[in-house]
Amino acid sequence: MATISFDLVSPENLIFNDEVGMIIVPGKDGDFGVLPGHSKVMSSLRPGRVMVYGEDKNLLKAFFVSGGFAEVNPEKCIVLAESVDEINSIEKSLIEKEIQKLEEQETDISKEQLNIAKAKIDALDSNYYEKI
Amino acid sequence: MPSLKDIKTQINSVGSTKKITSAMKMVAASKLRRSQEKAEAARPYSSRLEEMLASLASSAASGEGIIKLLTGTGNHQNYIVVPVSADRGLCGGFNSSINRETFKLVKSLESDGKNVQLMPVGKKSRDFFNRVMKDQIVESFVDLNISNSGYESALKVSNKLQELYFDSKFDKCIIVFNKFKSAISQEVTQQQLIPLDVSDSSDEENADTTATKAIYDYEPDEETILKDLLPKNVSIQIFKVLLESDAGEHGARMAAMDNATRNAGEMIDSLTLKYNRTRQAFITKELIEIISGAESV
Repeated sequence: MATISFDLVSPENLIFNDEVGMIIVPGKDGDFGVLPGHSKVMSSLRPGRVMVYGEDKNLLKAFFVSGGFAEVNPEKCIVLAESVDEINSIEKSLIEKEIQKLEEQETDISKEQLNIAKAKIDALDSNYYEKI
Repeated sequence: MPSLKDIKTQINSVGSTKKITSAMKMVAASKLRRSQEKAEAARPYSSRLEEMLASLASSAASGEGIIKLLTGTGNHQNYIVVPVSADRGLCGGFNSSINRETFKLVKSLESDGKNVQLMPVGKKSRDFFNRVMKDQIVESFVDLNISNSGYESALKVSNKLQELYFDSKFDKCIIVFNKFKSAISQEVTQQQLIPLDVSDSSDEENADTTATKAIYDYEPDEETILKDLLPKNVSIQIFKVLLESDAGEHGARMAAMDNATRNAGEMIDSLTLKYNRTRQAFITKELIEIISGAESV
């Protein structure tokens, strides 16, 4: 079966770079799946989960991205994310504390961070796309 | 003639200086390797971002809001200059060349009748411009500690710059920094940060991007993506500059300390020679005294 090359890049390093079977990306207007041979798309992303699947559609890795961009062409998918966490490494209690702290502040930046933190919790709780 | 003891103390003090400089050299060398790795790790992101931006830039019409980061304000009157230096000294001409170059740039802009403001990054340039052009400094950033806090610290600088830009405090931003060429050489570079300098990309590249542009689908649409992309590009450019400067600093320090260690070694050699000669002279003198004393008896 065909594969597509997938790069997940944060400003600090290259996090993932391999041939995969499918990726689900949290586009600004909704999630979209990328299979090998996908048409050319450039999309901005909302905070959410990037799911990476192997050739037989088994889940390889799940990441949380806080926003960014995706560029897709038939051979390659590149996700540029501002910050990336592997879903398994996120500590729910820490995020909940952060949310509490952020809710007390009322600045534009804290609101943005709050949205990201809430999306993180949602990402942890949801089990969509885990088996397809 | 200095006494033997004087020379001995001098040798000892140069020796301990040598120990310090060679230790600093080792530290700088290991830090250099780390910051070089960091700079390399950041490269994929910024190059991808540039590619995306290049394919989008052609579609931008002049407009209000964030697009101004690309198209400019239409004025060329107010400049802001950002010199990026190190927080610490003992790294040869690293800091002073930045300060000198920035000073020259500011003077030449002023002689063209422009208003120039300064936003120094790093203690060494802040201190320098605090002395010579205090009232032109709008903001300064020190102890950014790029190698540990990473992208966050670049964001601080970038957010402040964009805030000032959208308050129409300046029209053009030029960043002056040491570009990392190799472990032993840095090059003082000026880069226009805002508005985005698209003239860098050659014409053939432009032709290439118009070709790709036709094929891409955009989600939600080109303008929205561009609006997200432009502020991020400023941050990432600053991040890149800070990383380069950090690597350059360690490289410069390594070279400077290497020189200092070598000089100290040479000094010790010549002092030891002097010490031995003086000792020999004393012995000879004493011998002469004894012999002439014996003869007179």
